[in-house]
Order: sequence, then structure tokens, then C-alpha cells
Amino acid sequence: VTSDATRRRVIGQILLLAAGLVVLTVISAGSVYLVNKAREDARSVVHTVEVENQLALAQLQLRRAESAQRGYLSTLRSDFQTDFEEAASRLTPALTRLSQLTSDNPVQKRLADEMLPLGNQRIEEFRKTIELAREQRIDDAAQIVREGIGRDAMKHIDDLASQMRAEEDRLFVLRTTNADRSQTLAASLTWIGSGFVVVLAGISIFLVRRSARARDRAEAQLRDNNINLEATIDERTADLREANNEIQRFAYIVSHDLRSPLVNIMGFTSELEQLRADIFRRIAVLSQTAANASPAPLVAGGAAPELEDEDQQLSQDFSEALEFIKSSIAKMDRLISAILNLTREGRREFEPVRIDTRELIEGIVATVAHQAAEAEAEIRIAPLPEIVSDRLALEQIFSNLIDNALKYLKPGVPGKISVRGRTRLGFAIFEISDNGRGIDPRDHQRIFDLFRRAGTQDRPGQGIGLAHVRALVRRLGGTMSVQSELNSGSTFTITLPIKWTASNRNRDS
Amino acid sequence: MSKPVTIIMIEDDDGHARLIERNIRRSGVNNEIIPFTNGTAAMNYLFGEDGTGLARKGEALLILLDLNLPDMTGIDILRRVKENNYLKCAPVVVLTTTDDSQEIKRCYELGCNVYITKPVNYESFANAIRQLGLFFSVIQVPSAAT
Repeated sequence: VTSDATRRRVIGQILLLAAGLVVLTVISAGSVYLVNKAREDARSVVHTVEVENQLALAQLQLRRAESAQRGYLSTLRSDFQTDFEEAASRLTPALTRLSQLTSDNPVQKRLADEMLPLGNQRIEEFRKTIELAREQRIDDAAQIVREGIGRDAMKHIDDLASQMRAEEDRLFVLRTTNADRSQTLAASLTWIGSGFVVVLAGISIFLVRRSARARDRAEAQLRDNNINLEATIDERTADLREANNEIQRFAYIVSHDLRSPLVNIMGFTSELEQLRADIFRRIAVLSQTAANASPAPLVAGGAAPELEDEDQQLSQDFSEALEFIKSSIAKMDRLISAILNLTREGRREFEPVRIDTRELIEGIVATVAHQAAEAEAEIRIAPLPEIVSDRLALEQIFSNLIDNALKYLKPGVPGKISVRGRTRLGFAIFEISDNGRGIDPRDHQRIFDLFRRAGTQDRPGQGIGLAHVRALVRRLGGTMSVQSELNSGSTFTITLPIKWTASNRNRDS
Repeated sequence: MSKPVTIIMIEDDDGHARLIERNIRRSGVNNEIIPFTNGTAAMNYLFGEDGTGLARKGEALLILLDLNLPDMTGIDILRRVKENNYLKCAPVVVLTTTDDSQEIKRCYELGCNVYITKPVNYESFANAIRQLGLFFSVIQVPSAAT
């Protein structure tokens, strides 16, 4: 699974979520809007009904006023007058209310406003006839009624009312349709939205499942890779170990076989040396004999005959050449022995035991006490951590380092050597410091190489110690380093695991 | 001792053989020295053509053995000599460059009588051989079992 595909999938999921959110928002907003609209429409319908109702009420009051007037005119009973007054008093508020209700519709408003003066006019007319009747002028009143002055007005009012009613009926139908449509729309929107949400949820679930499957696959692959990696590492480690063993064997065989010819070279050089003595003795005797011209016995009382100047020179040259050969052989022998010892050390199996490091180092210091006294050096040992490791290896490590510290002190300066230790994260860190001559930073790598040395070569040594120490430290699973400047002492730092177990490194042999 | 001791020298390096012989002679040992430069020839001589060792029956032998031979290891020769009824009494002196303690231990376990490491220092080498020569001159070697 490439990172590109992963990113695309993540983006897809985000987009999906965003789409779901947008749909939900739209549905919510639409629903709210449509519900509001439906409510609005319903209110309009109610309003229409109210207007019609109010219109009927107004007409009713007008009729009531009329019938009360007629009743009074025919009977002159005062309760008809009371009825009339009540109806008259209700007509104006009813018409006013109608006018208010229709304020949203200019046409209806105009009709309502038109109705108001007509109504009032009728009421005034009725009231006038009632007044006339009360003043016993029934005839005048009847006359007015008969004239039918108000009938036109009444008809006009009825016309207006039917116009308004027709308009309101039309509005009623319209508004009902609107309200229906709003509700249908709201319902549809909800359905469609729900459908969308369900579809998005479906896609989401599909994607999540797909990515879960991809993740499972990736995990399985990772597991496989891990197993493969471990197998590869094991293989490589085995290869390395094999190579290392081969190098060890190689070094061993080479150094061993180099020794054989060396025995011959040394042996026959020594034989040559003996021959040289014989030859030059003969030469001396012969030259003496030649000079004296009298044969003398070869072995004359054991005293070696004197050589002549020229022969003396030859003899010395011969000896010098032989000496060079012999010293070179001796050196070669030391080098070969060193390699042999190193390879032998490399093959030795470590045996982890609990070691009181301080006690171990005190033991080493005791063995070099004589050298320390000669060099006027003082060795201080701080408290050191206990570790589990190979005792012999540790002894070799520390005794080499302490030997070196003693060996390379500054002449004429009392030596101060200290051994300190601490633990950290499962490792013990040891520091061996001195105030000796120090090591040029350029040589810090070199001093750990086999047969390489640094600084003034005024001390005996093969250049093996530190190489050996570092090899041991590595085999013990540790590291070592040096901090030093010329003329300002050196500090060798060794980091070793607190608990060394016979793990991978010991399977070498 | 009815028969003088014969020294069998199994040494692949001619130079070493020469040096050994010379130093043995210098120490005054004049016994016969039979040199072999490879294991096969030495085995043929020691065990005879039938490989039983019957051929050397009744001879007093002393074997000088180098461990690093071109065709076989001296250890094998040592083992076979010590396993053979006729030869097992013959003293075996291992004289080799190998100074590995494991190897030395193994040789003694197999019945080697003396183990000497060839020192590169010639004085020591010559000395060791001469001492060995002195040792040869006093050593009592039984005849091979009859």
C-alpha cells in the first residue's frame, strides 16, 4: 500500500464526511425553512377564514341593527332599541377589525374601508328612524323606511361583502394549495435527505471496511516482513560469524605456518654464525702461515689467531649482517606470536561470572605496585559497579590500560592515575584517566590498530595491547573510546553491559 | 639391549630435519636416524606393507614426530602408533611449532611421551634438541612386543 493511495483514501473519507455534513445541514435548513413556510401558509389560511368570519360578523351586526330597527318601528318596545344600540355599537369595531385584518391586502382593505362609512351611514339612518318613532312620528319614520333610501347602501354593502368573500375564497384555495405544497415539499426533502444520508453512510461503511481490510493486509505483510527480516538478519549474522571464524582460522594458520620457515631461517643463520667463526679462524691461520712461511699447527694452544685489518673488517661486516637478520627474525617471531595469541583469545569462550570490579582492579594495581613506585605514580580507585562478565577478559582489559597509563607518564612528573565507574541504562561505564603524555587526536584511531603505536617510541611494546583490549571489549558487547590531548593526559572510557550473557557472540566457536 | 635404538624422524621440513639431526649428532648420539618427509611414507615404514606393524617386530624405535605434515596430521600417526600392539611401547617425541595448549593436552592424552615446541630462538632450539639427545642416550627403549 503506497502512501499516495493512503492519502487518497484519507481525503476520500474526509470528503465523504464533509458531504454528509453538508447534506444534513441542507436538510435541516430546508426543513426549518419549509416548516416555517407551512406554518406561515397555515396562518394565512387561518387569516382568510378569520377575515370571512369577521365579514359575516359585520354583516350579521348590520342585519341585527336593521331587524331591531324594524322591530322597534313596529312595536316601539324599548328592548328593541337596546338591541339596536348594542348591534350598532358592535358594527363599527367589527368593521374596523375587518379593515385591520385586511391591511395586508390593499384591494380588500379598500373594500373594507369603503364598507365602514356605508355601514355607519345605515346605522345613522336606522337611528334617525328610531328617533322619529320615539318622538311619535311613526309616519315619518315609515316614510323613510318605505322610501328605501338605505336599500341601495345595503345592497352596496352586500356587493362589497360578496366581493371580499369571493377574494377571500380565492385566497383560501390558493393558500391551502400553498400550505399543502409546503408540507409535501418538507416531507420530500426529509425523505431525499434521509436517503442521501443512508447512501453516504453506506459508502462510508464500505470505505471503512475496505481500509480495515487494507490495514489487515498491511499488518500481515508487516508481520511477514518482520519474520523475513529476522531470517535475513540471522542469515547475515551467520555469514559474518562464518567470515569472522574464517579470518580467525586464517590468521591462526598463517601465523602458525610462518613460524616454520622462521625456525629454519634462525637455525641456519645461527649455523652460519658458527661457520663464520670457523672460516675466519681458518683465514687467520692461513694468513699467518703465509706471512711466517712456516706451517703452524691449526690449533695452537687455544688462543685465537689475530686477523689482519682487512679480514677484521670483513668479519665485522659479516657479524653485522647476521645480527640484523637475527634481530629481524626475533621481531617477526614476536609479531607472529602476538597474532597467534590474539587469535587464540578470539577463540576462547567467555564465562560470565559476577565480578567485584573494584577488587579485580585492586588486584591488578597490586601486581604493578613496583612499577608504580618506580614511576612515582599514585593509582586511585573510586567505587566501581559490580558486573557480570568474563573475569579473564576484564583482567586483561584493565591491566593493559593501567600498564599503558604507567608506561606513558610524563617523565619527571608524579603520575596520577584514577579509575572511576558508573552505571547507565544497563551499561557500566569505566574511565581510566592519567596525567601522562597524552595522545595526539590524529592518532586516536591508530592506537587501536594492531601493531600501530603513537607518540615517542621510547618504550618497549608491539602495538598489541589496545587492539587486544578493543577486541575484548567488543566481544563483551561493549564499546571503548579515548579522550586525550598531547601533554594533558588521557582518559580511556569503556562501556560494558552490566550483565553479559553467553548470547550471540559466544556462539562463534 | 640387544639392538641399538633407531630414531624415526617424521618431519616435512627439510631444514628442520637437518637442524634436528645436526643437533642430535652434536650431543653425541650416533644412533641411526631414518628421516621421513611425509606421513604416508612413515606409516608405510612403521606398519609395513600389511599395515599391522609386524614388520617392526622386535625393533627398538624412538619416534620424533612433527604434527603439521602435508598429507596427514601427526595426531593421526600418534594415535595409530599408540593403538598398535607392536609399536605402542615406542617412545614418541612430538616436536612441532604448535604451542596450543589444547593440542598439547590431546597429544599427551593419546600417549605422546614428550612434547616439545620448536622455539624460533636457535639457542633454545639447539639446546632443546641436545637435551633430547642426552635424553636419548640414557633412555631405555623396549623392543617392540613379540
